[in-house]
Formats: sequence, structure tokens, C-alpha cells
Amino acid sequence: MKNRPTQRLRDELAQASAVFVKDVRTYYLQPGMIMMGLLTPFFLFFSFSVRREIAPAQGVAQLLAMTLFFTAPAAGPFIIPLERRLGTYDRLLAAPMSLLTLLLGKTAVGAFFAIVVCAIALLGGVVVLGASIAQPWLLAATVLLASFAFSALGLIFGSIPTRRPGDVAMPSMLMRWILLFISGVFVPLDEMPSVARTVAYFSPLTYAQDLMNHAAPGTGVLNPWLDLAVLLASGVLFLLPAVLMHRRSRRLGY
Amino acid sequence: MNNAIEVDNLTKYYGRPGAGVLAVDHVNFAVRQGEIFGFLGPNGAGKTTTQRMLTTLLEPTEGRIVIGGHDLAREAYPVKRQMSLVPEESNVYTELSAWDNLMFTAQLYRVPRAERGGRARELLETFGLWEKRHVKAEDFSKGMRRRLSIAMAIIHKPSLLFLDEPTPGLDPQSARAIRDLIRRLNGDGTTIFLSTHQIEEANQLCDRVAIIDHGQIAAIDTPERLKQAFQRVQSVEVALEPDGQDHGQALAALPGVTTLVKMGDKWRLYTEDPSALLPQVIDYARSHNLRVVSLSTLGPSLEDVFLEITGQQIGVVRHETQQGRTRRRGMRPQMGGER
Repeated sequence: MKNRPTQRLRDELAQASAVFVKDVRTYYLQPGMIMMGLLTPFFLFFSFSVRREIAPAQGVAQLLAMTLFFTAPAAGPFIIPLERRLGTYDRLLAAPMSLLTLLLGKTAVGAFFAIVVCAIALLGGVVVLGASIAQPWLLAATVLLASFAFSALGLIFGSIPTRRPGDVAMPSMLMRWILLFISGVFVPLDEMPSVARTVAYFSPLTYAQDLMNHAAPGTGVLNPWLDLAVLLASGVLFLLPAVLMHRRSRRLGY
Repeated sequence: MNNAIEVDNLTKYYGRPGAGVLAVDHVNFAVRQGEIFGFLGPNGAGKTTTQRMLTTLLEPTEGRIVIGGHDLAREAYPVKRQMSLVPEESNVYTELSAWDNLMFTAQLYRVPRAERGGRARELLETFGLWEKRHVKAEDFSKGMRRRLSIAMAIIHKPSLLFLDEPTPGLDPQSARAIRDLIRRLNGDGTTIFLSTHQIEEANQLCDRVAIIDHGQIAAIDTPERLKQAFQRVQSVEVALEPDGQDHGQALAALPGVTTLVKMGDKWRLYTEDPSALLPQVIDYARSHNLRVVSLSTLGPSLEDVFLEITGQQIGVVRHETQQGRTRRRGMRPQMGGER
């Protein structure tokens, strides 16, 4: 009975869920998570929007895209090296569950964090700024997909074989800054020179921002189905290097 | 008797094979079902590396591990369900209460929902943590965290338990409670793999011990058989009054003394023939008007065997003593445990 695939699948889902709930209770209120995942996107947004004339719906689209992109990938690079240092990650690795299950549980931690922060940002945008949302369901789908994709992106950095969160904070933050400036968040995609636009297509944030533009002000440029497909594929693809790096960690002894 | 663990040619290089650090060097051993197996070695000998490979946390460079009939490289899942690890550092979630730590581990090991609460309560009561079940582990003492860490490791009733240095740093009461628990678990059928450098602990607990040194198994047998193989490290222990460092020179010069070690208020004289040495010690006391507070002959301890096998201490002291110099306590590298 226990070895049947359906039972195993149920077990793995329950284990991923247990890891998720444990991490939420343990780490969401840690200063590192609050700083990197909560305060950074808001300060960034206000830094770039103050004294600029932005329509409320466009502002909400930018704020949500930035929130997703900074909040969701904050969990992996913070939690995994910390758990490695405390020895608690060994407990997870030695448990009877697949590595993919563990990584999915960890992905859900960052994703859920981003979803909650996005909900707060959206509420603020609608109530305070009076923004209207053109396609609420598309916005919900975008938040869901992008949060998982970006959380998986953060997991790549969290999987770097190290026990010090500081070792992965720098490359993880650097990557986010670079992608932020090439992804059509501050300069709309259709106003970019062709070379910049070509570069922007390599960033998953471009598609998340375009979807937000479709959903909030209704000004997206690309086909929303393409955007959704790219985000979905990104989330799956980002798990691959995370798995490979975990295998490397197992060889190195981290 | 079936083997719980079979290790064949197990090797671990950190770095490239041939160029990196060789931590475990083609090790072979088997652990029988239901035994307490001690894995002894000095720091850096390869104990923890071996244990991490046995618990799937580290990939071997070479070799094969079979646990409960399953090849660990290909069938880790059924093995992981049946085993558990208590690492050297208590890896509890400090932000969670004792109860929540246990519940989380129970979920991770898929303990049936209806049984989780009962098992958690039983373990917390056994470990004296029931009253503190809602207290966050960050407020626990080292001993309490250790007990919680062990409780977390056994909540799914594993048939194979790995313990890495379970008692160092604990007060005597906590250490004894943990040793009693290890015996009780073993009595209930759990196979125990105990990595330690606490020689006396291994002597008290283990059915068999393996001594690993420089990544290789140097000896493997029951503690008593190992001691019998090293009869040449017998000794006479004497406490004299008044005591003083000046006895050292004279005692070391007695015929047949190979090594002299000051142990607190006692002198231990290593010899191959204690019966010949005893009257000489008494004569020395009498001729110097000393009172013999205690006098005993001792067979080799597991610590003596360990030191002899790892070739670090007794040999060095013996050489210098034979040159007519006396070595005192402190010149001998510190080892945990006592006779």
C-alpha cells in the first residue's frame, strides 16, 4: 500500500506542505525576510515613482511586478543557507521525500510570501490610489504564476553550496537589480530601442510586467497567453539548476 | 544474524579523487541487526563523513552501502523511512515549540495523524519535556535541546538510529539519561550506530566497536576482545600520601614500568607484568615512609586500546620514559572519558 505511486504522491504532497507551513511559521517574521522581501520592493517603487506622473493603474502594475520580483525570490537565498548552518537542512534532506518535493515546498514559501505582500500592495493601490483593475482574473493568474516562477529563481541562489546567507545575498540581489532595469518596468516595452527590447525578452520579469500591464491599465504589448506560458516554463526550468546544485552540494558535503 | 548495514569499499574524497582530501579510505564493515555498534575515532578520523554517507547526506566517491537489504545509491526511499539521525549539533527548530518540532517531524515521516499526538506526548514525558511543550526551543538548555533532538529522531520508531556524539557537553544526569535511553531503544529492537570519541561511553554501551583512524578501519571487535588483544597495556594504579610530583622520577625508574601517567591524585604505571611491579611499588612506599591510600592492578581499558591502535599517545610516552624521563599529566593528549 505504502509503495503505491498514489500513496507516495500523497505522502510527498503532505511533506511539501509540512515544509511550507514550518517555514512560514519559522521565517516569515525574520528580519532578513522582512528587509529583502517586504521593505525593498516598496522603497524601490517609491524611489522611482515619486515626482513622476504615473496613472494609478500603471503604478499598481509596476508596484505589483516589483513586489513579485523582489519578494518571491527572497525566501530561498535566506532560508536554505541558514538551515544549512543550523543543521536543520540535514533533517529535511534525510527525510523520506524526494529532493523535488523539498524544493517545491521551499518554492511555495517564497511564492506565498509574495502573494500575501502583493495582496496588501493591491489593496493599498485600489483603496489609496483609486486604481481600477481591467482584468482581475488575469491579475490573479499573473500573481500566482509569477510568484512561483520568481520563487524558483531565488531557489537557484539558495542552492549554492554554502552555509552563509551572506554568500548568496549579493549575487541574488545583483541579478534582481540587473533584470529590473532591462525588463520594461520603468521604460515600457514598446518605447524601448530594438536592442534593449531583444535583451528584455530574456528576462522573465518582462513577461510578468507585461501581464500586469494587461491586467491593470490594459496596456500590455505581448500576447498574454505567451506571457503566461513563458512564466510557467520559467518556473519549471528554474527548478532544474536548483536540483543540480543540490546534487553538487551532496557531493561536496554541504 | 542479518546485517542492518553492509559497507563495501566505501571511499570519500573531498575534491577530485587522487588530488583532494581522502577522508574515508576504502572502508569495509557490517553492522548486525539489533546491535549497538560503536564507531570510534579521533577528531578528523572520518567518523562523521562515514555517518553522513550512511544517512544519504553525502555522496560517496566510491563503494557501496546496503541498509536493510537496499542499495542506498538506488533505493534510498525505503531506507530513509526506517532510519533516523541525531547529529552532533542538536538541529531543532528554535523558533518552534517542543510540541511543534515533534509534530513537524511526525508529518515529515508520515506518522499516521491519529498517532502523532500520543507519540509526541509519550516522548515529551519520557524526556522530561512535557511541562515545557509549548516553550520555544530557543529557550531550552543544551541538554533539553539534545533530548528534543533525539525525541524528534525517534518519533517514527526507526529500526536504525544513527547517533553522532550524543553526550559531549551535557551534565552527568542528562548524559546518563541519554545512555539509558539508547539501551532502552536497543532493547526494543532498534539497531544503534553510535559515532563517538567518548571511549568509556562506547565501552558501556556497545556490543561491538570499530576504530577508525586516518579514514581506515584499524580494528573492529567487541570491547572485551579488543582489550584482551592488548594485555601488554596493563597497569598498576597507586595513590600515595603525601603526594607530590617528586615521586614521578622514582616510580618511572622502577623495573618493568613502560609508561607513567599522573592521573589526579594517582599514578598509573603501565607494565607488561603487574604482579612483578606490585611489590616494588609497596617497597618504594615503605622505604620513603609513604602511606598507600589505594593500590590496584588494571587491565587495558578501551581507551588504552584506542590509543594504542591510533598510535598517538602511549607509544610516545613509553619511548620517553624508557629514556629515564617522567611524563606527567598534560603531556599526554586529552581524551574523553575515564576508566
